[in-house]
Amino acid sequence: MLLFLQALLSGTLTGGVYALAGIGMSLVFGVMNISNFAHGDLMMLGMYLAYFAFTLLHIDPYVSLVMIMPTAFLFGFLMEKVFINRVIHHPHQNQILLTIGLGLIMSNTALLAFTSDPKILTTSYSSSAFNLPGGIFLSVPLVISFLITCGITAILSLFLLKTSTGMALRATSQNREAAQLMGINVAKMSAIAFGIGTALAATAGALIAPTYYIHPLAGHSFLLKAFTICVLGGLGSVAGAGVGGLIIGVVEAMSSTYISSDWKDVVVFVLFLAVLLLRPQGLFGKKGEQS
Amino acid sequence: MKQFALIVTLAAMAAALPLLIGESPYFTGIMISVLMMAALSSAWNLLGGYAGQYSFGHAAYFGAGAYTTMILITLFNLNPILCMAAGIVVACIIALITGSIVFRLRGHYFALASIAVAEIVRLSVLNFEFTGGAQGILLSDVSLWGLDLNSKNPFYYGMLLVLVVTLAITAHLRKSKTGFYLQAIREDQDAASSLGINLSFYKNKALLISAAVTSVLGSLYGVYIRFIDTSAVLDLRLSIEIILTAIIGGVGTLWGPVVGALLLVPLAEMLRSNFLGDALVKAGLVSETSGLGIFLKENLAHAHVLVYGIITVLCILYLPKGILGLFRRVK
Repeated sequence: MLLFLQALLSGTLTGGVYALAGIGMSLVFGVMNISNFAHGDLMMLGMYLAYFAFTLLHIDPYVSLVMIMPTAFLFGFLMEKVFINRVIHHPHQNQILLTIGLGLIMSNTALLAFTSDPKILTTSYSSSAFNLPGGIFLSVPLVISFLITCGITAILSLFLLKTSTGMALRATSQNREAAQLMGINVAKMSAIAFGIGTALAATAGALIAPTYYIHPLAGHSFLLKAFTICVLGGLGSVAGAGVGGLIIGVVEAMSSTYISSDWKDVVVFVLFLAVLLLRPQGLFGKKGEQS
Repeated sequence: MKQFALIVTLAAMAAALPLLIGESPYFTGIMISVLMMAALSSAWNLLGGYAGQYSFGHAAYFGAGAYTTMILITLFNLNPILCMAAGIVVACIIALITGSIVFRLRGHYFALASIAVAEIVRLSVLNFEFTGGAQGILLSDVSLWGLDLNSKNPFYYGMLLVLVVTLAITAHLRKSKTGFYLQAIREDQDAASSLGINLSFYKNKALLISAAVTSVLGSLYGVYIRFIDTSAVLDLRLSIEIILTAIIGGVGTLWGPVVGALLLVPLAEMLRSNFLGDALVKAGLVSETSGLGIFLKENLAHAHVLVYGIITVLCILYLPKGILGLFRRVK
């Protein structure tokens, strides 16, 4: 029982960060109808930004988010303007290949610039933990990450629900043509959505930097997780991605505890295929959206 | 018929090549890689190019062939041809499972699910004991019909044979009922379905042929190199290289994958062997002892994936129909 609670709680905390990455990808998918295969590599860039802010400028990784988020937003905004928007009316496979190519450029440039030696970001609280009654441990960096994730998700929800830009983004996501007919600048919305997606990916990367190895190819495994989260929540559904992230975090922690940590990714991918087989529109998607 | 004649002529020329240039293991090695990538990409092209179903997980079928063959040879010392047949069966089972799950879905889903299946295969092989895990499988001795398997020539002709068969299948299929059905599916699934084409049957048919050929190449590769591990035969990067080769040559064309392989494989080899860095130094453009010279020498060999990324981006933006597509536009 103790083991179960421990796995449930740590899984939820990790899942929160996964959710952030998943929400970013889902937003891009919803507004632009593009599967962004560079998402994991954008997370990797966030990890390195946090690492260098910490080692060179001595800024705490959680404080450096203030710099990382706008930088990543700008990076994503420009990336959309220069590359992505040119394939927005192309077949899916060309969009996928373009983002794969961009991802390869990012990860291999990082490999040349930072070498393949994994870096570790050790803060004073990296290995400390809160002791809960009953003998449950909660890692301090994971708890902080989770709280920050909740804050960012709340702000993003308010932005999407209350501001005119947020409403325009949601309108574009629901029906691109109709939104354009209503006078919404859909090209600008795409760039904004990609910017926000990139900022969220980099933030997720920065948040897990203190608890993971920082490596140029680290994005690879997160990319597939982000996809699983999006499909689980229904491609394009931001709220679904949030819940999907938590589910994936818990499933991963449970399979590490009860099966073996070697097999946790396999369990996640089997879950992914099971969702495709049984409920391809995702847990929260509407029927018919999968075609 | 014209295409068949062309295939036979080019194959005869390729078969004569080792006799003309004499014994050169280095050159033969590169040619084997070219033939293998051309055949892999042609097999992928059957499904991706003609049926429009972009599989991003073809490494799973390559790995299925390679691992099945290597495991059966090391455990039971079976005839490699029998092992190859067993590899085809394993690859087809994986293909059937993949197909039955994802061919009901469209668009992004097939791409995503094909990666998921390939990752499940890769991680399982990595975690199981009998597959050698992260250490891979090393083959010390193998024999077949008294052929000299220490020489590269049997593998050169083996790869050539598979490539010729794949091209012949493609040339035959695209003018057959199945080929026209596949192209109809690629252009408009709903229209194809309303004309009475059984979508999942023909997609699965294309996937099975493609997976079987890919697995044969995996078996050949395993016995040729005599060492396999997951990063060599099951990595996502292999799947992407296969697609990239077809894209650069021309997706959905008979010769596109061959053209792509003739360009990409030697380029990768040049980068890997640091030919480019050495050439820059020899040309006097970069001093060998300067900071840049040392940087190039140490890093350019690792840069071939970066170059692949740049080529992919440029190709999608400026040449989405590939090199052969360029000529077709002129016509």
